Amino acid sequence: MKGSLLALVIGAAAIAVLGTSYALSQFAFVATWAIAGLGLSLILGQAGQISLGHGAFLGIGAYVEGALAVAGWPAWASFPLAVLVAAAAGWVAALPGRRLGGMAFAMSTLAIALLVEEALVRWEGLTRGAAGLAIPPLQLFGQTVSGPLGQFVVSALLLLVAYGCCRRWVGSRLGRAWRAVRDDEVAAAAVGIDCGALRSLAFVLGAGMAGLAGALYAHWLAYLSPEQFGLQLSFELLMLVFIGGVGRLSGAIWGAAVFVALPQLIALATDLLPARWAAASGTETMAFGVLIVLIILLRPGGIAGGRRQGRREAG
Amino acid sequence: MFAQVLTSGIATGCVYGLVALSFVLIYKATETVSFMQGELLMLGAFAALYVHEGLGWPLIAAAGAAVAGMFVFGALLERGVLRRAIGQPHLTALLLTFGLGMMLRGAVTMVPAASHEMHRLPLPFAGAHIGFGTVVVAGEHLVVIAATALLCLGLSLFFRLSRAGLALRACSENPRIAALMGVSVSGMHTLAWALGAALAACAGLLLAPMTFVFPGMGLIALKAFPAAVLGGMSSLPGALAGGLFLGVVEAIAGLYLPEGVKDATGYALLLLALLVFPRGLFASRRAP
Repeated sequence: MKGSLLALVIGAAAIAVLGTSYALSQFAFVATWAIAGLGLSLILGQAGQISLGHGAFLGIGAYVEGALAVAGWPAWASFPLAVLVAAAAGWVAALPGRRLGGMAFAMSTLAIALLVEEALVRWEGLTRGAAGLAIPPLQLFGQTVSGPLGQFVVSALLLLVAYGCCRRWVGSRLGRAWRAVRDDEVAAAAVGIDCGALRSLAFVLGAGMAGLAGALYAHWLAYLSPEQFGLQLSFELLMLVFIGGVGRLSGAIWGAAVFVALPQLIALATDLLPARWAAASGTETMAFGVLIVLIILLRPGGIAGGRRQGRREAG
Repeated sequence: MFAQVLTSGIATGCVYGLVALSFVLIYKATETVSFMQGELLMLGAFAALYVHEGLGWPLIAAAGAAVAGMFVFGALLERGVLRRAIGQPHLTALLLTFGLGMMLRGAVTMVPAASHEMHRLPLPFAGAHIGFGTVVVAGEHLVVIAATALLCLGLSLFFRLSRAGLALRACSENPRIAALMGVSVSGMHTLAWALGAALAACAGLLLAPMTFVFPGMGLIALKAFPAAVLGGMSSLPGALAGGLFLGVVEAIAGLYLPEGVKDATGYALLLLALLVFPRGLFASRRAP
């Protein structure tokens, strides 16, 4: 409750400072990243698996939606397809998990993500090479969603649906089984939980949500190039979830807000700094590095996690 | 032509191998998956560049100073920050090293002289071509191979003969028993990070004549993961061999396979190695 009040205050402040339309378009990005973060949060926080390549699923979702939108498919058909293809990719990425555990499995997700990135870079028929792929605005129920308000409403509604689904999964038998696998795999297997299948399911759901976020992202940005979906993005998503708080679903939303707000704050701050530093391009990288290091050292549960170890309960 | 490609592959493989070596050294001793080896490599190359060009030291002295500096830097990093991540889940330590790497990369990029100009570290024999009969190979590749061989000889002597080397090995095998035998486990963690940083700096110095010195040069460390996994993640000679193998396979793939396959081979091999040889290509057949 305190959290949602705080979010309202921050939102109102952002509208006051940035102006309504710019703030709304930024909120749309927050909601989009939060959907991807929720998916990763299921894998990391609930099932306890490490995905070092979540950006690849986002990229797959974005390119499927982009290609179908360019081909003139309606959104009600292309969005589910983008989610399905990304979820299928998640299932494939989880296959090595049947044999590997822990760090070796994490390495395999890294390898798959790097292969996907390489494939996107080389597949010029789809990605249009260096020129990039231009995406038409989203068409929904005969309306064109192009303004900031429309973008915000669509992404916020989808975030609400995604959050509701995650809440149900996490609170159900499935969530309890995930947490059992996370905390002690041998004990979980001993009480009859199929660890491999649950791991796969976490990846399927998490990757599907990343695909949904990617599809939205493609429309909001109106332009795609393969470099956007590299390893950098995968690690940014990990940091997003970690900054927000791994153990709580609301952490993904907080993390997304920080993730979108930090570059804006840096842009504001560089106006105040002397010109020698303001021109420097490494400030953003540096600031994200400092933030993630501080969060890990001082508040391991993330923003939403509170001071106690925030890995136990979800909500 | 083939011999030239092969030596270039071996030279690149040496750099992969050295980075993989530093990665495995840290992983074995502290159970931390370090995602900042590339940044340490970059920092080492820039440190040498600064001492050589900024302070005017001769090249050999500058290289020595850079490696020694990175040794101290690695130790300080472990004492100051990384020590706090011990006992946390893998991912926490991994993200911590990634965050530190971002800080280093950001800090170097913020220095205008580092990011706006292209730098090159002049190394002896760079640009020279040495002929063996009909075969001509590039001088810098031979320097890299020779330097790696010397470095590995030194390391293996250190691990076999010195007390600190033995203690570090004992600590990687079983920290609890090593502690019972009077080894300072936390001291060994510091030593492992110091050695890891110094090794990464050496790799940076050897990479510098083959590419430019720039803030993004640490990306090559991504190839060190396949190398380390091919070597079985826990064997130092295996990591080096994995790096060499990867370098040669990439060079040959670049020669015979279509454009673009070369960069993907490393990751395809990584996936294959994980699925088919989870304990590395060079693992003994005995049960672990």
